[in-house]
Amino acid sequence: MLIVLVGLIQPRFLGINNLLNLIANNTIIAILAMGIVFLLATGEIDLSFGYILNLTAVVAGLMMIAGLPILVAIGAAIVLGALLGAFNGFLSVLFRLPLIIITLGTASMYAGLSLVINRSGSVVPPAEITGSGYFQFMGGLSGFPISPLILVLILTFIVLSFLFYRSRFGYRVTALGSNPEGARLAGIPVARVRIQVTALMGLLAGLCGVLFLSFRGAVDPTTGSGYLLPVIAAAIIGGTPLTGGTGSLIGAFLGAMVIAVIDTGIVFLGIDAVWSTFVTGAVIVVAVGIDQLVKAQRRKTGS
Amino acid sequence: MKTGRRKGLRGALVGSLAAVSLVALAACGGSSTTSESTETEEAPTTEVEQVEEVEEEVVSETPIKIGFVTHVVGNPFIEQIIAAAEQAAADLGVEIQVTGPAGADADAQLKAAQSLVAAGVDGIAISVPSESMVQGLNQIIAGGVPIVSFNLLQAGVNGPYVGEKSVESGRILGNSILEQLGGSSATGQAILGNCFPGFPVLENRALGVQESLAAASGIEVLGPFDVKVDAAENYAKWEGLLSANPDAVALIGLCAPDIASLGKLKKANPNAPFIAGGYDLTAENLAAIESGDAQVSIGQTPFMQGYAPVYMLVDAIRNGIDIGSPAFLNAGTEIVTETSVEQPFNLPPLTFAELLEISASPEASRAYYQPLVDGVIKNWQSELKPIGDESS
Repeated sequence: MLIVLVGLIQPRFLGINNLLNLIANNTIIAILAMGIVFLLATGEIDLSFGYILNLTAVVAGLMMIAGLPILVAIGAAIVLGALLGAFNGFLSVLFRLPLIIITLGTASMYAGLSLVINRSGSVVPPAEITGSGYFQFMGGLSGFPISPLILVLILTFIVLSFLFYRSRFGYRVTALGSNPEGARLAGIPVARVRIQVTALMGLLAGLCGVLFLSFRGAVDPTTGSGYLLPVIAAAIIGGTPLTGGTGSLIGAFLGAMVIAVIDTGIVFLGIDAVWSTFVTGAVIVVAVGIDQLVKAQRRKTGS
Repeated sequence: MKTGRRKGLRGALVGSLAAVSLVALAACGGSSTTSESTETEEAPTTEVEQVEEVEEEVVSETPIKIGFVTHVVGNPFIEQIIAAAEQAAADLGVEIQVTGPAGADADAQLKAAQSLVAAGVDGIAISVPSESMVQGLNQIIAGGVPIVSFNLLQAGVNGPYVGEKSVESGRILGNSILEQLGGSSATGQAILGNCFPGFPVLENRALGVQESLAAASGIEVLGPFDVKVDAAENYAKWEGLLSANPDAVALIGLCAPDIASLGKLKKANPNAPFIAGGYDLTAENLAAIESGDAQVSIGQTPFMQGYAPVYMLVDAIRNGIDIGSPAFLNAGTEIVTETSVEQPFNLPPLTFAELLEISASPEASRAYYQPLVDGVIKNWQSELKPIGDESS
């Protein structure tokens, strides 16, 4: 609906290339939003994923610069992401604290570690690395008709959908979010599931770190810090509640696209830059508010 | 589980509905940044002649739209740059669209540039805070949309850059501080703060300051410390640094919020022995200089950084000038103390009161900088230097 509105005013917006670019440019937000759905479904929020993204991208870049094969660096960075995520979960279980409190601290730890490792500077693999077939392909410079980021997004969606909707793990995640005590009494290994979910979020952040480095050819000290709000907003706009017990992966994807269309549509419509921030925030408030009203109405009518 | 999917679709639908309403609302009320050519008709009489002069030089043929992307909106220094860019667009009879993230977010900034290209702009002026933007910007340039960068430099961008000579401006700041401390015989601790460690321009400024202060063997430079860019955080960081080093003789910042923070800090600690120096001529910073709570501020000519990129882009587009390789256009350095205002490019001398008026009024600024438009900006091609000159 939003796409059609902007397209009616600015027909260029509906160009297939523009729409594909829109998806490709927001792949990282969409993947992270799908990851945060798992956490929200357990009733938790992670504040550190942007900094895990940063740290894993920095480590991957430095490993490449040090001469390790590109695929080894990529694999190591994704594994590192999973470990950092699992560390969040481990601390949360160990101290019996909500993940949001633990990740308030670890977010800063990961950001600081990244600054120490990259010496407060950008990590830029040299031309012989960024000129390789892999970087050319991932950067959209190989002439491949569709951005490889979109392919990664589709693949990730399929895998996560299986995990969330079809696997025992997915069942345990929603059961844990619905009723933690009930889940424990039913024999679900609550601590293990919590750590597994945070490890999954870390793994996805690591994947996104690698995608960022591959797509942009560099990573900066600030990379990742701006993802927190749009990622959580995308999941919430997509219908995943903060109360746990349920979630929607396709909703998270669509939520990410709603935010992307707002950001891009505002540019197409020639609207003042300062409105972009306002509209994004207002959409979240209005969407969540209407969603709650609809739910309340349904409860009232018993449907 | 199907419930989750239905909820997701419903939530996204609700989000879309809300977005449609709000975007429509914003579209009705928020298109204020576009400086159409009609704005020239509303210009004050005193500026009409200037406008006509500029229009004679760059004759309008087809409607041109320029995208102007800043690394942050709502920052007083950046607003001065934006005001100059909008004046250039009005003078040249082109359309300009200003955009940028609310907070420093390189990825969002690059996406904004890409959206502008998709929306059909003919050229882009952009500050480039991050190396990760370079590849994306060069793809835009390769696609036929020229880019001029300003204020924050990444040397890998295939286009000219308008900004200060960053190491040199640091040297100037260091020398001014040293002069106030008594020259090469000065002693004590000088604390250096960087609001964004890793930004090449800021790192270069730090190098210049350290180089100048090294002339006094009795000065021990501590830092650079991360003093953050947010005004409240910036003040808190400086307060902490002063608490840890109460005998420091100089506190030196490299970013726009520092002078204001240091001025407040001096007011709160009038017996502390430090003098304060930093960057940018925002109204708040000038007030701190005027009150004697800060001693020196280095300006980087925001008018030049806003006006010149738009002028260069329009000139290049209209006249088919190739600007697809890195080059440097010096925006000049202004040195302001309580008793003197030194301006670059042989601009007319200013009193402190006149400087205050210029920093607060885009119209006064436009009138004052007319010689700059007629000189360096008009002759920008002959003024371009190799990009390495920026950090020489």
